[in-house]
Amino acid sequence: MPRSTRFFSAPAARRELLLPYLLVAPALAVLLALSIYPLLYSITVSLQQETASGVVWTLAHFKRLGTDNFFRTALVHTFVYAVVALTFEFLLGLALALLLNQQMRGRGLFRASLLVPMMLPSVVVGIVWRLMLNPDFGAINGTLKHFGVNTESLTWTASPRLALLSVIAVDVWQWTPFVFLVLLAGLQAIPQEPYEAALIDGSSRWQTFRHITLPLLKPAILIVLLLRTIDLVRVFDQIFILTEGGPAFATETISLYIYRTAFRFFDFGYAAAMSFVLLALTNIISVVYIKLLRQ
Amino acid sequence: MIRTTTLSFAALLLAVLLAAVSCTKHGFNSRLTIAAIEGVEGEALKQAAVDYEKFTGVHIDVVQFPYANLFEKELLDLNSRTGAYDVIMMDDPWFPRFAESAFLTNMQPLLQKHGKDGPDPDFIASSIAVCRHPYQTGSLYALPYVGNSQLFFYRKDLFAKNNLKPPATWDDVLAAAKTIQEKEKGPDGGKMYGYVMRAAQGNAAVADFMPIFWAFGAEMFDAQGKPSVNSPEGIAALQFMLELGKYTPPGYVGFNASEVSAHLLNGTAAMSINWPAWISAFSDPAKSKVIGKIEFTTLPSARKAGQAEIGNWLIAIPRSSQNSDLAISFLLWATNSEQMKRSAQRGNPPTRKSLFQDADLVKQFPAYPAQLRSLETSRPRPRTSRWNEIENVFGIYLSKANSGELSPADAMNQANAEIDKILQRAGR
Repeated sequence: MPRSTRFFSAPAARRELLLPYLLVAPALAVLLALSIYPLLYSITVSLQQETASGVVWTLAHFKRLGTDNFFRTALVHTFVYAVVALTFEFLLGLALALLLNQQMRGRGLFRASLLVPMMLPSVVVGIVWRLMLNPDFGAINGTLKHFGVNTESLTWTASPRLALLSVIAVDVWQWTPFVFLVLLAGLQAIPQEPYEAALIDGSSRWQTFRHITLPLLKPAILIVLLLRTIDLVRVFDQIFILTEGGPAFATETISLYIYRTAFRFFDFGYAAAMSFVLLALTNIISVVYIKLLRQ
Repeated sequence: MIRTTTLSFAALLLAVLLAAVSCTKHGFNSRLTIAAIEGVEGEALKQAAVDYEKFTGVHIDVVQFPYANLFEKELLDLNSRTGAYDVIMMDDPWFPRFAESAFLTNMQPLLQKHGKDGPDPDFIASSIAVCRHPYQTGSLYALPYVGNSQLFFYRKDLFAKNNLKPPATWDDVLAAAKTIQEKEKGPDGGKMYGYVMRAAQGNAAVADFMPIFWAFGAEMFDAQGKPSVNSPEGIAALQFMLELGKYTPPGYVGFNASEVSAHLLNGTAAMSINWPAWISAFSDPAKSKVIGKIEFTTLPSARKAGQAEIGNWLIAIPRSSQNSDLAISFLLWATNSEQMKRSAQRGNPPTRKSLFQDADLVKQFPAYPAQLRSLETSRPRPRTSRWNEIENVFGIYLSKANSGELSPADAMNQANAEIDKILQRAGR
């Protein structure tokens, strides 16, 4: 007899027992199909290799990680990209949030216009900046030339020395508003009483910031740092549009290298192995942040 | 009551399934699906499909993808054998990968069904050679649709003005670049560059380097199939590329085809290697400041005769297609003389010799004689199923040498070692 029939004809008590399972079943099925199965499948892919005599189980992909210069370089780029961009985004975002948390004229206008970069799709940001950074026809060098700067060596994304810096600058431009937004929300949730108490006790501005604002803002800071770090470690779209990892591999990050390996070289096994390294990295970072958040 | 609901639901499900099955069996038999490239090449095939539908009633869906996505879409589909596409368009360097994995239908038996013993002898030999697996000698797995091969572009007005003879050798090119850069000014009084090339990592750097590499007598693989890019000839070729780089606009390690063409169109650079697709732009007043001043010729020589890289668009039938008979009829029709002439009029170089010599077409495209000479003497990128990976690595090191990060010898040695790793992995 089909299961559904048995469920409907079962006594009320048993039906009650089965009901919760039945209710979570659709969600579970979706999770299985869209998360768990692909995860297990990618594990098997990373441990298999196609040879002349068929598919064999092997650790070769993981061993290759140790000897792959490109992988190591891409890892370093990802790390530099994440640390530098995060530092600037956080400091700028915090400064802007503190500034615009005060009563001033035109505050609403400032806030709204600051959010524009964040609203744009990364692909659009990539294309716009690619045009602006063009050494010959771009707006940036055009402006610099106007002020008499010799721009001959300022080739931005086409220069191996400036390329990583250029893509980081674009990320800072696009994502500082997000940091600003979260921190501003955090600032506005801080009650006025501690500040009033500090004022009465004669605390300096720096002391107030150091001992009241920062500790009370900590949850917001950690959440925004966590979200930004994860996004930075797996950054793909702007770099893909801006430089495609070039010139001379100077802006190749892990995600780009994984994409290339999977879809240009069709080596899904190795791409899956690298993805697990990336997954492990983001997991470790998340755990650290969450630990800090709970303290 | 509950049982009848279940039963009727099952019956409904069965009916839907049956309908779907019968649809695939009968309803879709007279329809074809084509995966094509975006832009002028794919557009011509799309037009051909529209015409074919009018004549035969066969419904053809053309799905177009940008260059970067077409390869992965096709490989994913062919690999999982879904049979979603009956005809695929591909760039010729992808062909070894597809053919070696036995993804494509052998066309020989299909041609025989149509009473032909082989491809039409009017097709240019170098174009048919890239449709065979193994190269040149094996069975036919595709037909050539668009006959691109590289050309050498130069400013004939500046050459005449400075008493320079047309560039026949790479030494001529270097000398002319030097003269022009020293003596000439750009259109707005700015700097004029003698040469412009693209050295962005990957396809761009490799495509602009291969003609120099070959002319210097270097080969990517030796007779045993081992990589040999770090041969003395290979290193000399890279040194020459850096020499030319001194007469190329700064930032060329990030250049792609569009930057190169922009410099030529703006009249700020005097020579380059480029593809025929750009020719028409030079006579377009909206884009070009150099109308009538650019000459197109075959590639310069050095120790060996100059050879262009071939870059044909091929059309093939995946093995997973359920409609190979219908597909071959369409392919033969689309590549016949009359249809290919239409495609040529839309801007795609043909792959038939008779069309390169067709009076109407030569009138419309004055570069055809040069294109024919270039295509007939062209050579393909090394025929290996690992080409994408090798090209990527080779391009990175060419880029590193051009940016001054590595010396030519170091760049070639490291590239050689990385290419060797790729081959070893492939052979495992």
